[in-house]
Amino acid sequence: MKVDGRTAPETGSILDAVLALGIHLPHLCKDDNLPPIGACRTCLVEADGRVVAACHTPAAGVSEVLTASERVARLRREVLRLTSRMHGREPDVAGGPRSGEIWAAYEEHGLERPAFPRRIRDGTDATSPFFEFEEQACILCGRCVTACQQLQHIGAIGIAGTATSARVTPGAGATFASSICTACGSCVAACPTHALRPKPMSDPAQAGRSRRRGNGTEDR
Amino acid sequence: MERKTVSTCPFCGVGCGIVLHTRDDRITWVDDDPGNPSSRGMLCVKGRFGIPFVQHPDRLTTPLVRRDGELQPASWDDALDIVAERLLEYRGAFGSFASAKATNEDAFVQQKFVRLVMGTNNIDHCTRLCHSPSVEAMLVQLGSGATSNSYIDYEEASCLVVVGCDPDSNHPVIASRMRKAVDDYGTKLVVVNPKRIDLAERADVFLQPAPGTDVALFNGMARAILDDGLEDREFIAARTEGFEAWRAVVIERTVEEYAQACGVDPHALRLAARLYARPPARRGLPADERPGSCLAWGMGITQHTHGTDNAHALINLALLAGQLGRPGCGISPLRGQNNVQGCGDAGCIPDSLPGYQPYRDDVAARFEEAWNAGIPREPGIKATDMVERIATGEIRAMYIVGENPLLSEPNLAHAGDLFRRLEFLVVQDLFLHETAELADVVLPACSFAEKDGTFTNSERRVQRVRQAVPRVGQSRPDWEIICDLARRMAPRVGVDLGQFAYRSPAEIFAEMARLTPQLRGISYEQLDREGGIQWPCPSADHPGTRFLYAESFPRGRGRFVPVRQATPAAELPDADYPLILNTGRVLYHWHGGTLTRRVQALMDQVSEVPVTIHPGDAERLGIADGDEVVVRSRRGRLTGRAVVTDAVRTGSVFVPFVKLRESAANFLTNNAYDEPSRIPEYKVCAVRVEKKRPWDAALTGGWPTASRDK
Repeated sequence: MKVDGRTAPETGSILDAVLALGIHLPHLCKDDNLPPIGACRTCLVEADGRVVAACHTPAAGVSEVLTASERVARLRREVLRLTSRMHGREPDVAGGPRSGEIWAAYEEHGLERPAFPRRIRDGTDATSPFFEFEEQACILCGRCVTACQQLQHIGAIGIAGTATSARVTPGAGATFASSICTACGSCVAACPTHALRPKPMSDPAQAGRSRRRGNGTEDR
Repeated sequence: MERKTVSTCPFCGVGCGIVLHTRDDRITWVDDDPGNPSSRGMLCVKGRFGIPFVQHPDRLTTPLVRRDGELQPASWDDALDIVAERLLEYRGAFGSFASAKATNEDAFVQQKFVRLVMGTNNIDHCTRLCHSPSVEAMLVQLGSGATSNSYIDYEEASCLVVVGCDPDSNHPVIASRMRKAVDDYGTKLVVVNPKRIDLAERADVFLQPAPGTDVALFNGMARAILDDGLEDREFIAARTEGFEAWRAVVIERTVEEYAQACGVDPHALRLAARLYARPPARRGLPADERPGSCLAWGMGITQHTHGTDNAHALINLALLAGQLGRPGCGISPLRGQNNVQGCGDAGCIPDSLPGYQPYRDDVAARFEEAWNAGIPREPGIKATDMVERIATGEIRAMYIVGENPLLSEPNLAHAGDLFRRLEFLVVQDLFLHETAELADVVLPACSFAEKDGTFTNSERRVQRVRQAVPRVGQSRPDWEIICDLARRMAPRVGVDLGQFAYRSPAEIFAEMARLTPQLRGISYEQLDREGGIQWPCPSADHPGTRFLYAESFPRGRGRFVPVRQATPAAELPDADYPLILNTGRVLYHWHGGTLTRRVQALMDQVSEVPVTIHPGDAERLGIADGDEVVVRSRRGRLTGRAVVTDAVRTGSVFVPFVKLRESAANFLTNNAYDEPSRIPEYKVCAVRVEKKRPWDAALTGGWPTASRDK
């Protein structure tokens, strides 16, 4: 298989092959550590002329993949533009989870970061002492649900409702503190937008640490 | 500056991979490590959010020396000169506790110091308080005291039997892997626990035996297997001995009699036995593989006055069913602390040299040649006995590294009385805890995040620990402190200075690997290149060992050991103390809480000692959920907050042993011991629970000695 003209392994998914070659491709709903969901469509590529989501398309049987053709680049930009309409401003994040890659994806695709809250969903759940959830930054990618269910096998988080009323929730209208959540933090690590993020640690040892905006570990 | 450091979690024995994110030398975030084969990208709340203890302002930053009755700051030179001078007086009346939280290298140097410089084998660590009966029983029956399988075997098993442990609280990532087996592969699950733990929700069979009746339960399962003819006759004939004599004891009673003795349903007992011996194949099991069963257990088995009997009864079951030595089966004593396996491997136990090698002349001679000095060949005194023998003057000075016995010993008031009688006490730790407050000299040690080294987890995997932040204050790694001390003392006792001249942990590990057959093939170079390696790893080209006993047992044949149910416990309920106290842990705290009490978010989650009580008992005592309650035993009392739930049996209360608001369960527990292993009976004692009255303010601690039996 060739990816952008370079030879790539044919085991696993097209996304695995793309990432193995060090090519940047957004994959907002696919955690490196978890099975694919195929929900966000931000990893669209051309595979033998068809447009497919790279994360859940097997590489076997595909001969040519293009990640940067004008067609897929435009489609991805439009998908990302629609995604950006799902959430409000970029949340303030202290600490540095590995994720938060949505902001890098916007930049790579020449999109402005949204400047004002859309307030489709605007609840905040700060009931856990360990992390908080700011709904307006959520793009419903489902990565937290997968991390909770398929990695940790706890099943504390789900997506309730449909269409514009769909929302991520720990049980039907429950809070994290009242749910079966054990605060393992796998959802926090997986969240690509920092809608789920660690609380600034209130220990004296952590006091005075500068809060910073946005993009987790990339922000040096 | 931002940095990421790949290391190993410092909390429980699972040994999860962590990535410490730091910014300007402060820890900002703890990430999971998807590449770590033990944790596969999982972490629990303590590993993810519990690390801030490392840089807490309470950390000890200078040595402290007691002058005019007060602990006062001192220089390293002054403090170590005093320790060296005083310890030389106590050769022959000295004991040392090592730390299962420190690295293998720290542990190896400490036991070398104790054996070579102090001339005694009186060294032990917290394994005495957790799995010494398991190790004792496994050594007698199999010849090795380690977990036989890997965590991957929990996912490949067709049946999991989880006994006397609560993985959701104590080994959360193992609990996740067990849930994965049940959810994804349809693995059968049997849970045995007097408390209905979270994992019981997924169980096919949940047995809730009366406290202290484990031998009857496992003999009952064995009897059921024999009745159904499900024993592995081929395995018994080819790999074991003592079957007939053992069988004669087991068939003295029927399954129904056994079930009645432990208060469980005989049909459930039979079903559990069948599932363990011959489980239906899990989804995805290759057709040519026999469905396996894993047996995992914890302190519910060991912390009894007949803990070793309990462990024997379990291992007999594994031998009977032939559930050893294949993928997807095995026996696992789940380890409590991050490096309790490694601390024992490194030789911090009184009854053997590093690598569990006996004090035989040929073995001792190898160590003496390497160390160029003589070592004692008499087994040393076990940890719990060291404390008890302060009373007789056999132990007059102690050197305690990274342990806090005045929270972890049973009957704390009694233990405190004994520690106060020590003539000289050195404590080396991160915080000025209850034991350190009594010390003559306190030495500040580095945490795991400030040093390099290795930990060995519950599946025998040796993994790297790497320095992520600068040392706090003047603290130093344990190995460095002990080497510095040893160099001051060595010339006075005829030991070469060169024996304690290590320049790095890698040098220490290399020496340990040379002297320990099971580690011989492991080196830092290999660990850095390939990640963690599971011992035995006899040579550099060996890939490590996923499961033990494929061909044979270290002692040759596996040995059946007949055991009968003894009296359930040393202290049983009566009219004055009508309830049975069971102790354990909660997810959000770590053991006695010395570390996790310094993490605000964990304290926000659980800030008072929960006292779990059955609704029937609560109603009779006029206690409602959330009431403040006082729990009393013959030895002490504590104040806690009632949690009313039918997860515990009628007549029993559960209290975790973390100390919160000055209340700790070990003020209540009984210093009665299992004879072979000398483990205390933490799991059963008699108590009385009352709603706290307004005038009961601050009721916590031990009874004054004189009134203890009233």
